[in-house]
Amino acid sequence: MYEVSADLTEYFREIDPKKRLVILDSLPESGGVDFVREVYNDRYSDHEGKGRRNIDWWLWRCICLQLLYGRGGFFRHFRDKEVTTIINELRMNDTDESHRAILYHEYRNTARRYLSTCRSGDYASSFMGFRKASDEEKIMKACADIWQMSGGIAKRSGNDTAMKLWVDAFREEIVNYDDICRDEYERLRKEDS
Amino acid sequence: MEQNRFAAAFKQNAIWLVFIIEIAIFAYFNPKFLSLPNIINISRQVSYYGIASIGMTFVILIAGIDLSIASIVVLVNVVCAYLMMNMGWNMWLAILVSIAMATLIGVLNGFMVSTIGIPAIIATFASQTIFRGLAYILSGGLPIPDVLRYAPEVGLNGDPALGFFARWTLNHWSIFPRMGVGLIPVCAIIMVICFAVGSFILNKSYFGRYFYAIGGNEEASELSGIRVSKMKYLIYALSGFFAGLAGIIVLSRTGSAQASSLVGFEFEVITCVVLGGVSVAGGIGHMSGVIAGVLIIGSLKSGMVMMNVSEYTQMVVQGLVLAIAVGFDCFSKKRQAS
Repeated sequence: MYEVSADLTEYFREIDPKKRLVILDSLPESGGVDFVREVYNDRYSDHEGKGRRNIDWWLWRCICLQLLYGRGGFFRHFRDKEVTTIINELRMNDTDESHRAILYHEYRNTARRYLSTCRSGDYASSFMGFRKASDEEKIMKACADIWQMSGGIAKRSGNDTAMKLWVDAFREEIVNYDDICRDEYERLRKEDS
Repeated sequence: MEQNRFAAAFKQNAIWLVFIIEIAIFAYFNPKFLSLPNIINISRQVSYYGIASIGMTFVILIAGIDLSIASIVVLVNVVCAYLMMNMGWNMWLAILVSIAMATLIGVLNGFMVSTIGIPAIIATFASQTIFRGLAYILSGGLPIPDVLRYAPEVGLNGDPALGFFARWTLNHWSIFPRMGVGLIPVCAIIMVICFAVGSFILNKSYFGRYFYAIGGNEEASELSGIRVSKMKYLIYALSGFFAGLAGIIVLSRTGSAQASSLVGFEFEVITCVVLGGVSVAGGIGHMSGVIAGVLIIGSLKSGMVMMNVSEYTQMVVQGLVLAIAVGFDCFSKKRQAS
């Protein structure tokens, strides 16, 4: 969908920030690498200034979007306001085509990093961690999480257009995650519409 | 879409409907159930459940559990009474020290769960046993009676603060006499303030968001930069703090401290929280639901007493309510996954 050079493919595949930096430093400063570096610095810096270490700001905003999905009623106004802030922070409305390609892959990388946590032992467990989830339950919950932090919140907050790049990137990542994810993602989309 | 929204809003607030139905049933069988004295009595009764349930809500939101709160309440009871009655401490100082101690016990729970890695249920069960034992040792297994009656003499030789405390704790302090609001128990006012603070923490502060995030996906929260370990310390400390505050309310209500009291209190608090829609899997729940859960359990207890239901039957009913609430949560999770 959005093509990037072979050099950058490896960079976007890696989810460990330290390893990514090593790859990034080894790239020649051409072909949009300066924007990739800008995005890197933006993603892994502390925007709140609360002294958090090893921060992945974009991943945190993913989680925030998922939490905002569950908000409604009295909090609807605050929810929509914060979604707009996140759209601006994560540059979802950047119109430059070369930037959009890089952002698309960075979004996919963020989704991949989130999904890397979805196979851990405690993920989707219930009853205070005593009942561990089966692999299928974990995949189903991962699908639901990805839907909520992308298509779901975009729909609920009325930002389908502004968040299109983000939603597309997350959808692409989840349908490639497991065979059953495509159908599950579609089911969630239909259920929510 | 609108229909789905309505269904979601209904699902989120269905607990209030349960509360209204419960009230209607008890009022039908005993019209005195809705009398002002009984409402005041219920508000007094639920106050310490309510306060303790705020801390428990935070803990369950991160998919944890705190079984030590009953022991913390009892220990705070005994220590506060002991400091005032046996050591002649100033009442306010005794209260402060007792609540600080409760918070420290929470920090200890946080240490066991977060740093050592003991499962929360085991760590807090150990705390429960340790601190109940300490309460027995301190009180010698005997009740410390008449705290309110003798505190002024034994405590600070007629310190007006103690007189105020005694009056305050009688729970008949009218805060708005001229406005005709009438007899609002102070403990109920404290509970409302605590719920407001709890609600603020959950909905408006970053900490609240961290709690939900950790409960939803702990590993992703850690990767995003949240210091999960520190947060667990904070949450268990808050649970201890609210349990300590509940302990002071209990002491002010009963006027005596007894190490053998409040057996099973932690399960009643868990029932209130889970009944209020806080998922035992973590990450899901609202303070408004917990308020409804607390009111349902308080009304249930009061209603059963008014209908002369025996204490043993009450235990059976409360156990069933807990099983149904947790069962419903697990069932809906399972249905969601399939």
